[in-house]
Amino acid sequence: MTSPVTERPDVAEGSVPRWPGPVGTLVCILGLGVAGYLTFEHYTSSTSLACSDNGVVNCLKVTTSSYSAVAGVPVAVLGLVFFVIMLVLQLPPMWRRPERWLRVARVAWSVVGLGTVLYLLSAELFVIDAICLWCTAVHVLTLVVFATTVYATVSYPRPE
Amino acid sequence: MPDNRKTSRGPTQKAAGSANRTNVSPKKQTGGNRRQQEREERRHQAALEARRARNRRWGLASIGLVVVLVVVLVVVKVAGSGGGNSAADQVSPPAGSPIPAATLSKLASVPMSTLAAAPSGGLINQIQSTTGANAVTSNGKPELLFIGAEFCPHCAAERWALYVALSKFGTFSPNPGRIHSATQDGNVPTLTFYGTTYTSPYFVFTPVEVYTNKPTANGYTALQTPTKEQYNIWQSVGGGSFPFLDFAGKADMVGAQYSYVPMQNLAFSDVAAQVGNNSTQLGANIDAGAYQLVRTICSSLSSSKPASVCSAGA
Repeated sequence: MTSPVTERPDVAEGSVPRWPGPVGTLVCILGLGVAGYLTFEHYTSSTSLACSDNGVVNCLKVTTSSYSAVAGVPVAVLGLVFFVIMLVLQLPPMWRRPERWLRVARVAWSVVGLGTVLYLLSAELFVIDAICLWCTAVHVLTLVVFATTVYATVSYPRPE
Repeated sequence: MPDNRKTSRGPTQKAAGSANRTNVSPKKQTGGNRRQQEREERRHQAALEARRARNRRWGLASIGLVVVLVVVLVVVKVAGSGGGNSAADQVSPPAGSPIPAATLSKLASVPMSTLAAAPSGGLINQIQSTTGANAVTSNGKPELLFIGAEFCPHCAAERWALYVALSKFGTFSPNPGRIHSATQDGNVPTLTFYGTTYTSPYFVFTPVEVYTNKPTANGYTALQTPTKEQYNIWQSVGGGSFPFLDFAGKADMVGAQYSYVPMQNLAFSDVAAQVGNNSTQLGANIDAGAYQLVRTICSSLSSSKPASVCSAGA
């Protein structure tokens, strides 16, 4: 015979919200798409990058700036790597896992993304003096994944 | 509250309570335990909910802080207090300022032996050979196409080596002027080929500077527009990046051969003084870069080529 305590819904399962997994996964898939597109454009030298190059929105100016690569690695590739790792961390089964290190890693990785976005946004606004629309899309998705990750993590503490 | 009353009960009361519990029937004892467990469970849930609410507030505050930070960045930009590019004296005339003849002479007369001896460890970008299927010529001569922009720091760095290399094959008229990359883009001193004509018995040099280093509200002032053929080569091979070099369709280079970082904010004369001096990293980079350009130009020329240049260091 089980006790009333063990009959109630398990605390671990009850603490895990359902929405962060699907939302985070969807955002990461979108981010992967945009970052993948930028990476493809970078390596194929394609001219099909749908972006203005004459105005505030000037992809050419941004993608040819010194901020388009970090230690020789194109920023587009870094964005792709970010979303690949984040996609794994955001999968619904990963949200249901109670390990503390996993929750910390997810938040830490989202903070890394946030820091990179703020750095690149500052560079675009104050140094390059131009905005790349596709880059901005990646920035927005990174901010969204940061917000959902932080909110879901702190709102639903890991069961003790 | 029940829980508080329970915790404030003294030892005597606890003992009495315990004695009472020993006298009740097992059924009543089970019911009492259940009620106690339910109270503890409610208390646990309340504590958990309070913790969640507290953490939720912190989370929302963090997210709000990020949003505010982004908004502040945008507002500061829109307000024009963070641009740093409004000073009219931070731009160069498109054709540049005059460079002392002695300085140009020094740059043009670096011995081939010095270029060949330059350590190449600082070169971070290689010139790539192509099939040569689409040999680019102009007026019957092989054409060396350079597409750059005066705001671009990588272009600024590469022009030093390019000028040294080109001086081995021909002359400019008028001489290149002195400019710098955009102040917010490294402020790298350099020469500009805009407005010059290069004459060589071996090949045609076609420089195209797409933008000046003069900022506008939306970018930089346009300067030269590539022809359709130049644009197609630039886009298909170079991906539209600055700088771009095409050696008669036989070799290409996208980007600069070496980093512009050591040149940032230096005076033109400071960089010029190091050209031909392989003992400094900056001088070695320019010399080694120039040597690679010379070798590539020589290999791109089919027949007529200066032996004194093309056989040196080979």
